[in-house]
Amino acid sequence: MGLEALLVFPIAGVALILIANFLARLASYKSDNKAKQEPYESGIPTIGKTWIQFKVGYYLFAIIFLIFDVEVIFLLPWAVIFKGFGVAAFIEILIFLVILGIGLLYAWKKRALRWE
Amino acid sequence: MNWNTLLLMRQELVLTTVILILLVVDVIVKNKKSLNIIAILLFGIYTILGFFPSGNNELFGGMYKNTELIFAFKNILNIGVFLITMISVSWVNKKMLPLNKVAEFYALMFSSYLGMLFMISAGHFLMLYIGLELATLPVTALASYDMFNRKSSESGIKLLLSAAFSSGIFLFGISMIYATGGSLYFNSIYGNIAISYLSIMGLFMIFAGLAFKISLVPFHFWTADVYEGAPTPVASYLSVISKGAAVFVLMILLFKVFSNFIDLWIYLLYGISILTMFIGNFFAIRQTNMQRFLAFSSVAQAGFILLGFLSADQVAVSAVVYFIAIYVLSNILVFAAVQSIGLASNKYNIEDYNGLYRTNPLISIALMFGLFSLAGIPPIAGFFGKFFLYTAAASKGFYLLVFIAVVNVTISLYYYLIVVRAAWLRKSDNPIQFYKSDIFMKISLVIVSTALLVLGLFSPFYEYIFSISNI
Repeated sequence: MGLEALLVFPIAGVALILIANFLARLASYKSDNKAKQEPYESGIPTIGKTWIQFKVGYYLFAIIFLIFDVEVIFLLPWAVIFKGFGVAAFIEILIFLVILGIGLLYAWKKRALRWE
Repeated sequence: MNWNTLLLMRQELVLTTVILILLVVDVIVKNKKSLNIIAILLFGIYTILGFFPSGNNELFGGMYKNTELIFAFKNILNIGVFLITMISVSWVNKKMLPLNKVAEFYALMFSSYLGMLFMISAGHFLMLYIGLELATLPVTALASYDMFNRKSSESGIKLLLSAAFSSGIFLFGISMIYATGGSLYFNSIYGNIAISYLSIMGLFMIFAGLAFKISLVPFHFWTADVYEGAPTPVASYLSVISKGAAVFVLMILLFKVFSNFIDLWIYLLYGISILTMFIGNFFAIRQTNMQRFLAFSSVAQAGFILLGFLSADQVAVSAVVYFIAIYVLSNILVFAAVQSIGLASNKYNIEDYNGLYRTNPLISIALMFGLFSLAGIPPIAGFFGKFFLYTAAASKGFYLLVFIAVVNVTISLYYYLIVVRAAWLRKSDNPIQFYKSDIFMKISLVIVSTALLVLGLFSPFYEYIFSISNI
């Protein structure tokens, strides 16, 4: 590996994107109509400016949703092999759930779940 | 995995528990002021647990390792974080108690510290990276913790953006090392990695990512702005704990993982050390704000730390660890004094300190001790810290660099003495009024001042560090 290996990085990076875009352009069928210009497929045109401040509650809900998301990601593989591992695995997942539960409890008591 | 191996990482486990307990207690307890004491107690218990002896072993196939040196270094930082917890009580009580944001301050600080513990113990590049991220993200929240102060928000966003950039560079460097070394474990990279353009590039990028944390010169631009805007306890945390942990990790990487690149990085460090010392010192002279001043002084101190790296052996390791132990104490002392003055009078400029000795003699003695120790004036421990760094560099024949460092110490003496002169010799029509600090501030000031005096005259401490210093 010499200096040329360094060149491979930028070239490969640019080339991959270009090739992917080119292939997509070849394979895709193009049509243009008025509905396509709208911002969302099934939405309505926005009223007023979109550069406004959103309520911070949305972000809080998104973050709290993450707690359950992570929980499911770990619980699913755990549930598959649960029988083989016995009590130790049970205790370990319990510790994990308690940590996430504390996060939820904290958010709850700090009234992050209340929409005011 | 059994209980013995789990006991090896008990510091991290206990600290995680401490953070969780803090969050639970926060929602249960009605009297929010008591959260300060709970945080100090919990962290105190954790600090004491750290002093029980620990084994020399690896976990998770080498991802996590603990040696006696790592353990001792963690204990040094534990004490530092404990002291910062104590001095931040007065700030939190004044600014954050009305907003009901007490426990989060400590929880964020401890989680950032948890990241540093994993960083120090890492034996795998991804472990190191996760530790680095965990150490950085809470600190950005802490830097903007003073909610109604625009400067604090500015420092938070500056820290966040530049930290994200630097960790991106760090990650890119890791990918290059993986491309040449074929592994991310320190143990398997060590000795197996060939010197090629790609691996050298990787080394430089990893170095840049850590140099950002240590605020070495081409990567120091965030330092002054962030330190100025951040709450004083957070600035002291950044300058002491964050820097110390990054220096230790850099030492492990350079001395062990990249030890066959030594001919390269030794000259890199040589140049950066000179640049860092000069630029840090010259910019520090011009500052009028105390927190900006301390930011540049800490940049200059980082240049001195690099001096110790150059011998790359047991002497280097022990000199750097010893210097960091002293530096942690002396910088905390100065920051504590600045914070207590700033809280009482809302004054942060050097010229506001005129006539401080007449109104508040005790705090000006503490300030003087801290500054003398940073400058390296003999009876106080800071002198010995610098002295060992010089011996480390001189032992491999870098006499020119030692000479440059001595010149820089003289420059730094000038600006440290400017502050001391303002507090002790200058008179002012409108001096800072007499005030009383709270009990935790007083205790920590007394502890640190005596520790600085005693450590300078107590050689077994250095001998102990020397005896365990093998990476």
